Amino acid sequence: MGQLNDLKVKIEEKIKADNLDAADIKGKLGLRSGKLFAFITPTTPDDPAAIAKLKEAAKEILHMSL
Amino acid sequence: MQWHSIRTKVVGALLLCLVVGMAGILVLMRYCFEHNARVLATESVTGAQKLFGILESREISKMTTAGDILLTNAQFRDALAAKDRDRLLAIAQPLMPELKQQGITNWIFHTVEPEQTVLLRVHNPGVSGDHLNRFMTKEVARTHAVVSGSELARAGFALRTIRPVYDAKGAVAGYVEFGEELGSFARTMKEQTGNDYALLLNKKFVDRKNWADTSAALHRRDNWDDNAAYVLNDKTTASDDIMQFQGDLESIPAEGEVLERFQRDDSVLVRGLFPIHDAAGNAVGAIFVVRDITDFYVSVRQTQLVLMAVTVVVLALGAIVVVVLLNRLVFQRLRDIIQVATRVVGGAYHTAIQVSGNDEVSQFEQLFEQFRHVFVDVLSQVPQHHERELQER
Repeated sequence: MGQLNDLKVKIEEKIKADNLDAADIKGKLGLRSGKLFAFITPTTPDDPAAIAKLKEAAKEILHMSL
Repeated sequence: MQWHSIRTKVVGALLLCLVVGMAGILVLMRYCFEHNARVLATESVTGAQKLFGILESREISKMTTAGDILLTNAQFRDALAAKDRDRLLAIAQPLMPELKQQGITNWIFHTVEPEQTVLLRVHNPGVSGDHLNRFMTKEVARTHAVVSGSELARAGFALRTIRPVYDAKGAVAGYVEFGEELGSFARTMKEQTGNDYALLLNKKFVDRKNWADTSAALHRRDNWDDNAAYVLNDKTTASDDIMQFQGDLESIPAEGEVLERFQRDDSVLVRGLFPIHDAAGNAVGAIFVVRDITDFYVSVRQTQLVLMAVTVVVLALGAIVVVVLLNRLVFQRLRDIIQVATRVVGGAYHTAIQVSGNDEVSQFEQLFEQFRHVFVDVLSQVPQHHERELQER
């Protein structure tokens, strides 16, 4: 538990560091991975499929290896 | 280039319209040129035929009048009745230059039947005494009335009138004949229309030896062997190649026939021919007509170029206008909706869509905006999210 949230935190840090449009990037990642960022919390279960999709979306949109 | 994009498809369709339009113009202009060239050729043939008929009537009338005037002179009548060749020559010869000026090239006195021989050729006094076994001489002997028409003879194909001359007692003393070479018709017709003409004679009706003799006398090339079926009697152009005809002269319809278009150097020519008949009604030859339609051809080509240029410009401008309109009215607004949808999913729930106008895209914008409100309302009902939102506040 908490892996998805860890990914989310890392992505948010990257957005902040690169001074990106958070709503736009999160929207694209959400649409691509099928997971709403707002719903990811530390208690979100570790769904391997969702984790893989989010990593893939982050790589594609942010060129970020998680 | 994105082949699946609507913009690409629309531009492609417009390009296709351009190509089809250009092809259409080319085909239409080609048809227009072919049709009009045919009309011009037909008009040239029918016009030439009418003109030939008018000239024929005018010349027959002239020669008939010359005969009428001649018969008022008793000296001719008496000399012919007396078959006094020298006296006839003495009276007639001074008049011949004047008649030649009027186009009359042949002047013959015939004795009365049964011998009906040539008493005097005023235009060629050295040749006489021969019997002319021609349709017109037979016809004038049979009817004792004026006979007119074209006929082939030793001197060539000529328009002739032959009439009886009566002595003081009212008996036929002989016949007088006037003739005019048909070659002069071609030159007169060229002067009047600007077209070129040639007289073709069916070899069936021309004597080979006479043709050679006439060619030698007129210092012209003996062209007997140029064509198997006909000889070119006279022409108004130096070129022989534009006067070629491979068909059968006797099969030319009475109203004439238009031949294929012909291109020589930079000139475009239409051609045709119509039959000519002798006094006996035989189709002895044809008049070949050549009309230069280069100016018309150039004009059609210019119109074609202008039409194509206008089509390209109009369709190109149309394509630009359509693409700009599509961009402003559809594509840009779709991009805005995608951006808003993305931002809403990304958490900017209150990013609204600006609904503009009341067209089809506006209806979609409106629908999406309503959907966004429902989406935000649903999210607010989710406890997990509600708590988080409260924390973030």
